[in-house]
Amino acid sequence: MGFTGHLSVYAAVSLLISAFAAPLVARWRPVLSGYLVLAALVFSFITSVFLLKSVIDVGTIAYFMGGWAPPWGIELIIDPLRAYMLVIVTGISLWIFIYALRDLEHELKEEVICWYHSLYAILTASMAVMALTNDLFNLFVMMEICAITACALITIKNKKECLEAGFNYLILSAMGSGCFLLGVAMVYMVTGHLNFNMVQAELSLAIAHYPLNIYTASALFIVAFGTKAALFPLHVWLPDAHASAPSPSSAMLSGLVIKIYAFVLFLIFTRLFPQTLLEAIPLRQIILWLGAAGVMFGSIYAMLQSDLKKMLAYSSIGQIAFIFMGIGINHDLAVTGGLYHIMVHAVTKALLFMSAGAIIYSTGVRRISDLAGIGKLLPLPMLAFTIGSASMVGLPGTGGLISKWYLALGSLENGQIFFLLIILASSLLNAVYYMPIVISAFMKEEENKFEFKKIPFSMQLTMILGMLMVLASGIISRPVIQLIEQAVTLLY
Amino acid sequence: METIGKLADNYFYLAAVILFVIGAHTMLTHSNMIKKVIAMNIMDSSVFLLFVAIGYVKGGQAPIIRETAEMVYVNPLPGALIVTGIVVAVSVTAYALSIIVRIQKSFGTVDCDELCDMRSED
Repeated sequence: MGFTGHLSVYAAVSLLISAFAAPLVARWRPVLSGYLVLAALVFSFITSVFLLKSVIDVGTIAYFMGGWAPPWGIELIIDPLRAYMLVIVTGISLWIFIYALRDLEHELKEEVICWYHSLYAILTASMAVMALTNDLFNLFVMMEICAITACALITIKNKKECLEAGFNYLILSAMGSGCFLLGVAMVYMVTGHLNFNMVQAELSLAIAHYPLNIYTASALFIVAFGTKAALFPLHVWLPDAHASAPSPSSAMLSGLVIKIYAFVLFLIFTRLFPQTLLEAIPLRQIILWLGAAGVMFGSIYAMLQSDLKKMLAYSSIGQIAFIFMGIGINHDLAVTGGLYHIMVHAVTKALLFMSAGAIIYSTGVRRISDLAGIGKLLPLPMLAFTIGSASMVGLPGTGGLISKWYLALGSLENGQIFFLLIILASSLLNAVYYMPIVISAFMKEEENKFEFKKIPFSMQLTMILGMLMVLASGIISRPVIQLIEQAVTLLY
Repeated sequence: METIGKLADNYFYLAAVILFVIGAHTMLTHSNMIKKVIAMNIMDSSVFLLFVAIGYVKGGQAPIIRETAEMVYVNPLPGALIVTGIVVAVSVTAYALSIIVRIQKSFGTVDCDELCDMRSED
């Protein structure tokens, strides 16, 4: 409690206030709405870094909303792991938003830009609360806010394919929410609680009396989060939605929105399901096999694409599956790798979508085959793309290597050689579809066929920042890995 | 046999699950978008009904504290949660319908299959 506890709420509330104020100030001065949301994002980022620091120093903070202790009130928990996720959410949102400020000018009509800023702030706030909340129903409400705003960030670009993709996303997302709420009802039926800790304590007793009820609930949770996080057979909405959206939305949706659901599923596995349940039915194995299938099929589908953004979207399906594999392998090292991959992939995929967005901004080229020789014309976006690709493949010096390294170590320690092979094969497949783009962009001699406009300074700056982050996550990974290791030991 | 007996006691669970499956099936298989949205509402309502049914206590009254006598009252929490849930469902419905209006304006159809055909012809 106390001051630091209140800060966790301010991190979300400042964003919500800016979301409501942004359209209002835009009526007076249109430019101000962007700067207002930017200020709120800076504030919540600084707050979450401060929270992370104080959590490492003084330990876990439990904050009761409105002063009502559970079981009556909603509890927010700030432990190292959740604070780590909070920093990722606010930090990456801030970074993408700086890029979005200029990129949106050419993708959206002027009168909807302030609404985009507003939706962006609500989306970030909902994800921040999802990372912290310790209450099932609060989680449901935040998931719905996140789903609506994420869809709206796609359909705000009033183009035909965006509308169709947004509608499909909304329907499947509603399906996921429905399953989640039914699961919550079944858990509430046997435990009488909604607070994670209390549910876990009750479930370990109730499982002897009502096993079927609890098995069904756990299956519903997996379907719900699998749909929302695009776990392999439930991924069908993702490619269209992420590819047709405006570039900053694609970066946000692929970078953060699917990660937060994977993270929450991880919390549910460790903080909600009792050990007896996980021993009774092979939930982890299911996640692991689906993850392994996703890793392979995501890469294979990505190879077949001719559209740059669609290829990146399919690649997200493969990469999110790595995080699920981390949950599934159930070894400390693999879990660390999976959680580190949340950060690495958020940075890398956002960087890739930014460079794709910059190429589209500058030349209008979207087809992969048209990218040949573009490296000489647009060196910075292509360099960013190259570094992002290197991290996707897992070349040394990039973050992708570290997370895959830990995942591979974890599967070795558990004696699951098959999954080690899957991880290696997927890296090779990634190289097969990322590297030719890079090579043909830089090596091929093409006559100067592009008409291009200059990329604004703020977009260049964010791409440089992104490259530095990808390289930093590969070279100085130790502090973050140590933080995650410490957080993982706290969980068990 | 034992399971069937239990189900007969808790028939409202069965009713809720049947409604849920009807909703989910219609939502995923029908191509008409309006039907999809209606099915989404059926699915949500089934969960709401289940939630409220859980909170019912036999012979219970509305949970208003009166000073006179001790009494049995129903669990108020599910009701409070479901009010929130209904608000969420209404806003998702409104948003989905607004997308459908836009789709109708730009494509001239509200059928997913026809939409798919039009996209592939382009």
